[in-house]
Amino acid sequence: MAWNRPLIIVLLAVLLALTWWRLQPEDAEIRRSRLIMGTVVEIMAEGLESSKLETAVDAAFAEIARLDKLLSVYHQDSDVSRLSQSDNGSQVTTETAEVLALGLDVAQRSGGAFDLTLGRLNSLWAISDGARRVPGQKAISAALRGIGPTSLSLDGRLVNKRMPHLQIDLGGIAKGYAVDRAIAVLKQHGITSAAVNAGGDMYLLGQRPQRPWRIGIQHPREKDAVLETVQVSDQAVVTSGDYERFFVQEGIRYHHIFDPQSGFPARDCQSVTIIADSVALGDALATAVFVLGPETGLQLLTQYPRAEGLIVAADGTLHASPGWAHYQVAP
Amino acid sequence: MKTPWQVMTGGDWLVVLFLLGVSLTGIIWIATAPAGSRVVVISGEQVRFTAPLGQPRSVVLDGPLGQTRLVIDDQGVRITESSCRQKICVAMGPASHTGDLLACVPNRILVRIDNPDGKEAPYDLLSR
Repeated sequence: MAWNRPLIIVLLAVLLALTWWRLQPEDAEIRRSRLIMGTVVEIMAEGLESSKLETAVDAAFAEIARLDKLLSVYHQDSDVSRLSQSDNGSQVTTETAEVLALGLDVAQRSGGAFDLTLGRLNSLWAISDGARRVPGQKAISAALRGIGPTSLSLDGRLVNKRMPHLQIDLGGIAKGYAVDRAIAVLKQHGITSAAVNAGGDMYLLGQRPQRPWRIGIQHPREKDAVLETVQVSDQAVVTSGDYERFFVQEGIRYHHIFDPQSGFPARDCQSVTIIADSVALGDALATAVFVLGPETGLQLLTQYPRAEGLIVAADGTLHASPGWAHYQVAP
Repeated sequence: MKTPWQVMTGGDWLVVLFLLGVSLTGIIWIATAPAGSRVVVISGEQVRFTAPLGQPRSVVLDGPLGQTRLVIDDQGVRITESSCRQKICVAMGPASHTGDLLACVPNRILVRIDNPDGKEAPYDLLSR
């Protein structure tokens, strides 16, 4: 075969094309998942070189792990554990004080529907730890004694407890706060497009290439169905539902979102999704609205002009705040 | 003098056509591959296992509490057995869409459906 034959040229061209294709830099997007704060935390980031993305994402995970040690009831030396063990209160870190300040504000505005002092009630039911039994009324009443928005007060970094036995649980807001801080770390590393998702509490930074982030919202009763899809950018999306951690006894569903007034799981909603400027706020509002139910829940949202909500009521009907439609993706 | 094209034999053309055919098949295969086609299993912050979503199989993974069994079938991927106490991971049922996650937190096993072809999925993440 002569060297000038076009076949050689064709083969060389194919080889060159393959080489060029393989040498193209891969899309600078990484997706990493870790188990932190008792849940799956997933971070997607894009727009920089892979090595810079890796460094930024590692730093964001480290920040979440650091906050877990401050805010979790499962760490004996966390701020929250020390506060619960104290008689009158204790000094906490700036981060814990920030979480408490936001949580107490939502607690007051929601009339106590969101509550940071349900530690004893959560331990009693222990649904998040896999318990499958309904506690007695006496025990529930005892666990509710002294709780409420005024049972804690904050003076700078000093937290005062009104009752020595109060047990603090920031489970309804801590994950959200950690996601917000992780996003701040990613921004510090120059990242402009990212998603941080901690067990459904998520923040969407910037945009996907050429479009906003698209977020599917889980249908509360159909495992494989998406209720709606929304488009967001630089916002948080948080869903609270009765379908993640629950058990059924004598035909009644017992889940992990408690009404602080009754001490029993809240009954008026199947799920609540909030779009807000921060995940911590979205987290607290999702719980508060879930407890308040569709009508009062939507009234609460009017106090937060930049927050929108979609509620699936106990009967399956949908209730949305006026600005929700702005985010909906046409089916 | 003959031009280079004139020295091409029938065999040469067959080889060229074969190469073109292989290339076209590859392009079509990549373009039509189903979205969400890969299962990624992470344990101890390391990717332990990946497999196409379309190929039925059963995998046993070791975690700190013992074994977790993963099944890939026509419904997607699901955890069918686990050494953990609460079995929340088993109750999660199957995952089949890109971005879906299954996890056994106590046994430190995480299962994710990935989309290495970068195909457009109906959503980027699922809020649940």
